[in-house]
Amino acid sequence: MTPPVLSSSIGSKFLIALTGLFLFLFLVSHLAGNLLFILGPDAFNHYSHALISNPLILVAEGGLVAIFLLHVFKTVTIVVANRGARPERYAARKWAKSKNDRSRKTLSSTTMILTGTITLLFVVTHLATFKFGPYYETAEGIRDLYRLQTAVFSDPGYVAFYLVCMAVVGFHLWHGISSAAQSFGLDSPRWTPRILWVGRLLTAVITAGFALLPIFTFVAGRN
Amino acid sequence: MAMTVKLKVWRQAGPGQPGKLVDYVADAVHADMSFLEMLDVVNESLIKRGEDPIAFDSDCREGICGSCGLVIDGIPHGPDKGATTCQVHMRRFKSGETITVEPFRAKAFPILKDLVVDRSAFDRIIAAGGYVSMNVGGAPDANSLPIPKDVADQAMDSAQCIGCGACVAACKNAAAHLFTSAKITHLGLLPQGEAERDRRVVRMVDQMDGEGFGSCSNEGECEAVCPKEISISNIARMNRDFLKAIVS
Repeated sequence: MTPPVLSSSIGSKFLIALTGLFLFLFLVSHLAGNLLFILGPDAFNHYSHALISNPLILVAEGGLVAIFLLHVFKTVTIVVANRGARPERYAARKWAKSKNDRSRKTLSSTTMILTGTITLLFVVTHLATFKFGPYYETAEGIRDLYRLQTAVFSDPGYVAFYLVCMAVVGFHLWHGISSAAQSFGLDSPRWTPRILWVGRLLTAVITAGFALLPIFTFVAGRN
Repeated sequence: MAMTVKLKVWRQAGPGQPGKLVDYVADAVHADMSFLEMLDVVNESLIKRGEDPIAFDSDCREGICGSCGLVIDGIPHGPDKGATTCQVHMRRFKSGETITVEPFRAKAFPILKDLVVDRSAFDRIIAAGGYVSMNVGGAPDANSLPIPKDVADQAMDSAQCIGCGACVAACKNAAAHLFTSAKITHLGLLPQGEAERDRRVVRMVDQMDGEGFGSCSNEGECEAVCPKEISISNIARMNRDFLKAIVS
């Protein structure tokens, strides 16, 4: 049971923002590690071996799953409560953005639950493909994830699927990063425009980085 | 210039009863009439025909009291920036146009009749902590209580909130965060209200949640419809104050 404070509207959003921040930091480290693929099989396989052979990985994975589930659980609870806060819908509804550009509403902010759900489904297939996917071994006797990644992304359909999923994650972050800052209470006339700008920049960098990998693997695999 | 507009107005006999949009034609409308005056004219013709006039709230009709509040074509307080419903004029519409008029919709704002909603949930949020409980005396002499200009500006900007409820009406979650945070900022930034800042935010947020308002998705639709253009920076301050208050 969450204590009352964390089930308040502000406490819930704080938890969503905090877990979201951790998940974002995970994405950064995941991307940094994956970019080693570009350096070739040795660098990538040694990195991934060091990662998966470390006993602490179980703790990290468990923590990550817990954070992910908390993010999902709090979000679903809050979405249900929010739907209940307006039982009868408007017959005509227009974004107030048309009246005053102070609104920050975007397609991204209105589809958070959808992009979040797609991301959740993606994570499941992603783990099935890689973590629990075929086990190849290198001559040194460590897991050959380089070969697995090359095999997976030799299929252009799979590359396209990944690109779509990365776009969805990017869509989620577009609103998510700056929204988390607001939920933490970070705001000032001077810093807010910068926070919004940095949120979008980080989203672009992360999304582009993750989109680059399937394309690179596909192209490198053909040569 | 005379104009004719077609209206689709939400009619509901009483609380909890089913309602529906009913079509009306407002003719002999002058472009310089306010939106509420146009409704007055429609009501006069309804009364003449022996029908029940459309119920809607209004008081000062000067944009300062916060009692009027309609959702006009899907936007609380209609199309004009920084204005209440009573400040919207018929020149904003084209002759022959169809205008949909609905009440503010939220579980915490039950419909009393037609376009009139019960906004006393806001009063209960104020009663939970939106006050200064010690006697701070009369107005202090100028400069006897120094307050930095930017702080005074923020407090006064928030004090402009008239509690109309448009923020709730515009929010996809029917959240009352903009209203509550405006009151928290207005009282908490000034020395007379600072002492109770922690206690106030916890009590007001508890009451707000208990009334059945939703939570904040940080979209800022509230700020966009606010007739006083209260900033969502206040919501960030409320988040900050609440988190600080519960750990201290």
